Amino acid sequence: MQSFAHWLETTSVSQTVKTVTWVIPLLQSIHIVMIGVVFVSSLMIALRVLGRMRADEPFETVWRRFAPWMWTGLCLMALTGLTLVIGEPVREFTALSFWIKMSLLVLGVTCTALYGRSLRRATLVSPAQFSASAKLASVFIVVLWLTVIFLGRAIAYDREVWGSLSLHA
Amino acid sequence: MRTSVKAMPFIESLHVLAAATVFGTVFIVDLRLLGFPDTRRPVTLISREMLRLTWAAFCVAVLAGVLMFAANAHTYYANTAFRLKMLSLLGAGLNMAIFQGVTYRTVSAWDRNVPTPLAGRVAGALSILLWLTVIFFARWIGFTKGYDFSIPQDSHINFQF
Repeated sequence: MQSFAHWLETTSVSQTVKTVTWVIPLLQSIHIVMIGVVFVSSLMIALRVLGRMRADEPFETVWRRFAPWMWTGLCLMALTGLTLVIGEPVREFTALSFWIKMSLLVLGVTCTALYGRSLRRATLVSPAQFSASAKLASVFIVVLWLTVIFLGRAIAYDREVWGSLSLHA
Repeated sequence: MRTSVKAMPFIESLHVLAAATVFGTVFIVDLRLLGFPDTRRPVTLISREMLRLTWAAFCVAVLAGVLMFAANAHTYYANTAFRLKMLSLLGAGLNMAIFQGVTYRTVSAWDRNVPTPLAGRVAGALSILLWLTVIFFARWIGFTKGYDFSIPQDSHINFQF
């Protein structure tokens, strides 16, 4: 992985992303804006399940309103994130936060997809009721996204956050 | 602030999260002003639902921001990106104040099922643009020389984690 990171760093794409001064801040800004879109969309869906938001609308309507924004936002984050990794591979690959973030991201996307599918089915049968496990899953997913967001920022502080566990040499 | 090494990533994450939430919630209101996804849900209802989240997130962002500023007050103050960010933030605030004070007075006439008047649509578009500018300049600050989050030499920090 180390040698792959160092090889990637020497490629011209990587050099361009890294040396053109406004590319990284612009990509990071888009990434942050998309955090807003994805997190708030996810929060709106979770709050609907908890009965705290748009209780007058069926779950299906709320899901259709926010899920496309959530998935599109996630795709844009993956794109900008991937470009950032290409630009600074060593910074990312040598951060423990980066690897935990990626694992939790996969978990978050999988959970959200399964959760959305099962809730849409369940609400077709009994529209008004959400089970305790559905509510728990909503809170779990929001907490998962909060952790992913924190780990994203923590990439810049790997040694400070993880101490001796840090992958930074 | 700088002496507590563990605090910085937490404070910064909180600031990013809160700022992103401000943008995400304001974006929903702005899109509704622009008529997206439709005009069925009343503007007053969407504003009421979203703006409490916006204000809560905004307070968190300001608090975390003040802590970050306190760590490097002097260099932030002299930083061009920081000044441009504050200017954009002021612009976003003024835009919202004008919208609330003037355009929103007639909201009962365009609350639902009709397009928002031009002034409202302009306010919505401007709001999106200004918040995007705020976020861009904010991120830009971290790439300009002169700020310092390293630990002062004479401070004693326990590096045991």
